[in-house]
Amino acid sequence: MRKTVVRVVTLLGGLFFVLEFMLPAELRRPGADRPYFTNPFSPWLNLATDLVIVLGTMAFLLGPINLIRSHFGNLVRWRRGAVESAVFLLFLALGLGLAGVKEFPDLKDALGLAAASDAFQSGYNLLFYGLMSAFGATSMALLAFYLVSAAYRSFRFQSLEAGVMMITALVVLLGLVPLGTFLTSWLPTELQLPTWAAWIFAVPNSAVQRAVVIGTFAGAFAAGLRLWLGVGQKTE
Amino acid sequence: MRFLAHLHRIDRRWLYVATLVLMLVPFVKPLTLPAGHVSRTTRAAFELIDSCPPDKVVIIDSSWDAGSQAENRAQLEAVVAHLCRRKIKFIVTSLGVTPLGPDFARDIIRPQVERAGYEYGRDWVQLGFVQGVAGALGPVIDRFSRDLWGLYPRDIHNTPVEQLPLMQAVRRGADAHALCCFTYAPVYEWISFANAQYGLRLVFGCMTIMCPAYYPYIDSGQLAGMLVGNVGAAEYEALNGTAGRGTRLGVPAAFGNGAVIAAAVLGNIGLWAERRARRAAA
Repeated sequence: MRKTVVRVVTLLGGLFFVLEFMLPAELRRPGADRPYFTNPFSPWLNLATDLVIVLGTMAFLLGPINLIRSHFGNLVRWRRGAVESAVFLLFLALGLGLAGVKEFPDLKDALGLAAASDAFQSGYNLLFYGLMSAFGATSMALLAFYLVSAAYRSFRFQSLEAGVMMITALVVLLGLVPLGTFLTSWLPTELQLPTWAAWIFAVPNSAVQRAVVIGTFAGAFAAGLRLWLGVGQKTE
Repeated sequence: MRFLAHLHRIDRRWLYVATLVLMLVPFVKPLTLPAGHVSRTTRAAFELIDSCPPDKVVIIDSSWDAGSQAENRAQLEAVVAHLCRRKIKFIVTSLGVTPLGPDFARDIIRPQVERAGYEYGRDWVQLGFVQGVAGALGPVIDRFSRDLWGLYPRDIHNTPVEQLPLMQAVRRGADAHALCCFTYAPVYEWISFANAQYGLRLVFGCMTIMCPAYYPYIDSGQLAGMLVGNVGAAEYEALNGTAGRGTRLGVPAAFGNGAVIAAAVLGNIGLWAERRARRAAA
């Protein structure tokens, strides 16, 4: 029963967007004052978009809620990793509290914390810029080292295809940074590395990307159609 | 030859150390490399924004956070510097990617608009973050293009948009002169909804690693311009006559790319030497 309800709701939801897009906004006979057909779904489009935003917010909250359940369970049962779970929950509460007090001045006043505004702002800045921003940038920066290691292991001239890939990577890597201009500035513009890199992006890369995108979106369309129509799903 | 054969088996930790040292060099000893070449995608983005009429507005969708700040921060800085120099009014949004977008954007924009003498509400507005469903931002972008006031009834300071003078000129996203989207990888729905259905001209600012995917849209004209990573920001700054973060970070990026190339070359020399040694032994 539940799966049937889900399928029906999915079908109707998809049908709404398809019909709203495919049907014309209005149809009018030549010289007529009023149209004889107006799209009945268009007035509901804003409500549908609001529902999408609400659903997105609900989905966004699912992650933290599951994390809290999991780590709180760890802590209460004192399983392996309970200390780490305690640290996570502490920082979660701290971050929520500081952000809430910062964003909602009425809450600050209601809690009698107006006098400590500067302290809360400093605490928020420490968590946001000192920890979160720094950790986020660091985790992405690690990719640079993995890239060097991967280039050392995998960029090997072991076949013609590998060689072409390596030379292409070399040209693009140098062409994208000022180093390429520096190394080839003495050559005519047509022979400089940035020009070659631009050609690689504009011609062979674009051709391949078009093929990939056509294939990807054809697959996504098929998958979306299956999901919308409930085709191939198990029945109760 | 035996020594060269060992280049094939360097411990990756030495590679990490060498990469770190190489990328620290430009910070310890400031170096400059000529910007010189400006790509057509950056030039097209610059000319589009530069051609903004005085009665039009540019919308900036700043949807990046700490992970991609290495490249998106410089791009946003460069474009905002251009807008402030030309006294072009702009609106800042953050659609669907990260709720941290508005905070990071505000830190970049606020000092520049204060220096330029911009008044909030009249010359620039920040509307804040709107949540969307990952992979399904289409309806949100469609609403953005068609009914901006409906999507953002209040700005980030909780002021109703009808009370903001700048918003009187932009009731729909499509009313803007152009939209610049700065994020790790701008979603294709901007192209299929905002540009294809409403004619909004788009500029993307993306990470270097994601840029190859957008070149077909540059060629077809659906994307008016693109800033490719830090290099795009440096090129934009060169066109704007400034030297900011993009230009400063271009040299460490060059050294980083040099490290990747050096690692590939070392690996190939080691492989070639080892094969020669094996053939000689056989």
